[in-house]
Amino acid sequence: MSQDKSKLRGFALNDINTKGGKYVANWRVYKPIIDYEKCIACGLCISYCPEEAVSRREDNKAEIDYRFCKGCGICANECPQEAITMMKEDEL
Amino acid sequence: MAQDFDVMPGNKAIAHGVRLARTEVVPAFPITPQTTIIEYLSDFVANGELDAEYVHTEGEHSCMAVAVGASLAGARTFTATCSQGLAYMHEVVAQAVNYRTPIVMAVADRTLGWYWSLGPDYSDIMPEMNLGWLVNFVETNQECLDMTLMNFKIAEDYRVLLPTMISLDGFYLSYSQERVYMPGQDKVDAWLPKYKAPYPLDPTLSKAWPSSMIPSQMHTPMRKEYEGILEDAKEVIAEVDKSFGENFGRSYGGLVEKYRCDDADSIMVTMGSMTTAARRAVDKLRKEGEKIGLLKLRYMRPFPNEELIELAEQVDSIGVVDRVVMHGTGGGMAFQDVKSTLYNTGIRVPVQNFVTGLGGEDIPIDDLYVMGKKVIKNKGKRLDQEVEFVAHDFPGAPPSIKVESDSCMHPASDGCAGCGASIIVRTLLNTLGEDTVVINPPNCSGVNYGSVVKVPWLLANFAAAAAYETGVYRAFKAKGKADKVYVTSYSGDGGTYDIGLQSISGAAERGESMIWLCYDNEAYMNTGIQRSGSTPEYAATSTTPVGSIWKGKPQRRKNMLMIMAAHRIPYIASASLAYIPDFKRKIKRAAEITRNGEGLAYIQVHQPCTTGWYFDPSKTVEVGRLAVQTGAWPVAEIDHGNFKLNVKPRELKPVKEYLAPQRRFRHVDDELLEIIQGHITEDWDTYLKLDKEEKLPWY
Repeated sequence: MSQDKSKLRGFALNDINTKGGKYVANWRVYKPIIDYEKCIACGLCISYCPEEAVSRREDNKAEIDYRFCKGCGICANECPQEAITMMKEDEL
Repeated sequence: MAQDFDVMPGNKAIAHGVRLARTEVVPAFPITPQTTIIEYLSDFVANGELDAEYVHTEGEHSCMAVAVGASLAGARTFTATCSQGLAYMHEVVAQAVNYRTPIVMAVADRTLGWYWSLGPDYSDIMPEMNLGWLVNFVETNQECLDMTLMNFKIAEDYRVLLPTMISLDGFYLSYSQERVYMPGQDKVDAWLPKYKAPYPLDPTLSKAWPSSMIPSQMHTPMRKEYEGILEDAKEVIAEVDKSFGENFGRSYGGLVEKYRCDDADSIMVTMGSMTTAARRAVDKLRKEGEKIGLLKLRYMRPFPNEELIELAEQVDSIGVVDRVVMHGTGGGMAFQDVKSTLYNTGIRVPVQNFVTGLGGEDIPIDDLYVMGKKVIKNKGKRLDQEVEFVAHDFPGAPPSIKVESDSCMHPASDGCAGCGASIIVRTLLNTLGEDTVVINPPNCSGVNYGSVVKVPWLLANFAAAAAYETGVYRAFKAKGKADKVYVTSYSGDGGTYDIGLQSISGAAERGESMIWLCYDNEAYMNTGIQRSGSTPEYAATSTTPVGSIWKGKPQRRKNMLMIMAAHRIPYIASASLAYIPDFKRKIKRAAEITRNGEGLAYIQVHQPCTTGWYFDPSKTVEVGRLAVQTGAWPVAEIDHGNFKLNVKPRELKPVKEYLAPQRRFRHVDDELLEIIQGHITEDWDTYLKLDKEEKLPWY
């Protein structure tokens, strides 16, 4: 016999299907800019980004989804090639 | 009367009251929105402004027990808590009464359990209400300070000698600034002499002490005795209120305060901070010619029966506003008390109940005005519906952004920029995969990352997360699914080293095959950087501040690796967010071991905290790396008793390089640095020795 879920009252559910990422671009003071000449696609910035805002683009190099970047600067600080520069948002 | 005043939040006013009362013992454990009370107190002690024994306890259960012990031994004792913490201390709260301990405890009210909220309602204090404590509700920050002093005097009076709670609404009072007049120390000293316990637990002073065991035949008469004491306490409350007024120029009316009640034909009954808004609503209705008054319940225990009956005889309608619901009775707490007080008197006025402001929602003047209107309309009526729930529409959560990815988490979160815990939780979940259940004792991550995960993430009570985890794991075992789903915790260091330790130890000893993951940021960061059992020596935190006497935390941290090793569990590891491949390998090894049903796998990961350690957010990984390279955080593992240092620099960097970027160590001078460096070198040498041996001796 199947139970009728619609009769359940007072549930506050966490439903994975209804969730998504947070828009945090307005948190930023500094914006990381990647110099693709210098990027060697090592992926360190991907592992260290606390927001999972960095991913690999087709050529394996890093790409930042700025909607999810708070501008903490860890990527720039850790990049072994110094390929990422933090630029002040209002000076861009 | 010339007195100094200052503008301060309610929590600070309470702390000043505790300081002025020359309190001798202060046990403390952080919980929002109470925490700043114990922070202000640690500041006073650190700077010699309060000469008290300050006890950093490992959980609220112990916190209350320290308070009872100290009060029994004759010390004036204060503590503070709220919500989950108050519930966790419940059994000791019950014990404090017949031990006759005049403890004063501030409860910065906050919703208890089940839908969590940081905001205030009285669901936390309601279950503690009928244990024999005096329970006092305050409305303003000035009342916070004054009642701290008055409640010591009331509680310590030999006619009473009972513990007392001061209930101040979280946020509305605890964090909101108001003008507070500060009485002079000399005057307080003269008015509030030192506490003298009649039978202190001190063989040099007394050969008798309070007993907890009496024959069952004596229970009923003894309980009746306590009802008599609480009844007598009413007189003491009135006396102390009067004498405080004579000495300090402020008095509040004792058990209740009546506002515009003289000619009233209907009244509103309120308590706590909502009263201020209710006053304005009454003023507005008065302006419209309505004869409405306000009764503020200042003490809920003992309950002001006589004052209420006297007013009820005069009015034709009563409205009770409750910030809590007594589930199963249909109404609120004060409502049930008001109704039951009136029943046998023969007074038959309609008593309307409004349940509102739950979870800390604001109770605005406009709402109270509408409630007042309704109460006026009720005059002479038989009520169709005695309880009304007053709520507002939820404007809706901000929209989130859907992104296609294989990750077990959605991008970004509400966490601080540069948060290391975010790197750790994302690495953990993406390594374990989507068939993972996370058990999460309260911490920053629960707040920030629980809302962006794509796996079940269950909030567990602080002290019992490993037991929650055990339950989930055993259910999978019972259903034959233990090899299909990973069960892991995502706990902070407070939930591991301190309040959660007992439950972890139990799970480890029983051999539950699940993962305990501790992200270790060396303090209670969620409540605002209070010291934990993991805080390294001389680190400044908000409860081990640097002052004229204190120099940060004087004790060394617990060695959790060895505590877990003493349980002989199959896998123990420490990792760092700066060494991701090593961390991932350890997660996989832990997964393998739990899947084989070998027992508990424990991993602690070092998480430099930009907010709590005070360094630039871009340096999270850099500071983590320095901790490893200086030996301050050894990256090691104990696989079936085999100890291995996974990162072994040929030569350790001086610890100074690790401490330098962190403002929590900026007071560390050469002398302290030498001590810190000495301990790190000593530990490192021990680890090097263990590294060479085949197995730890007790495996």
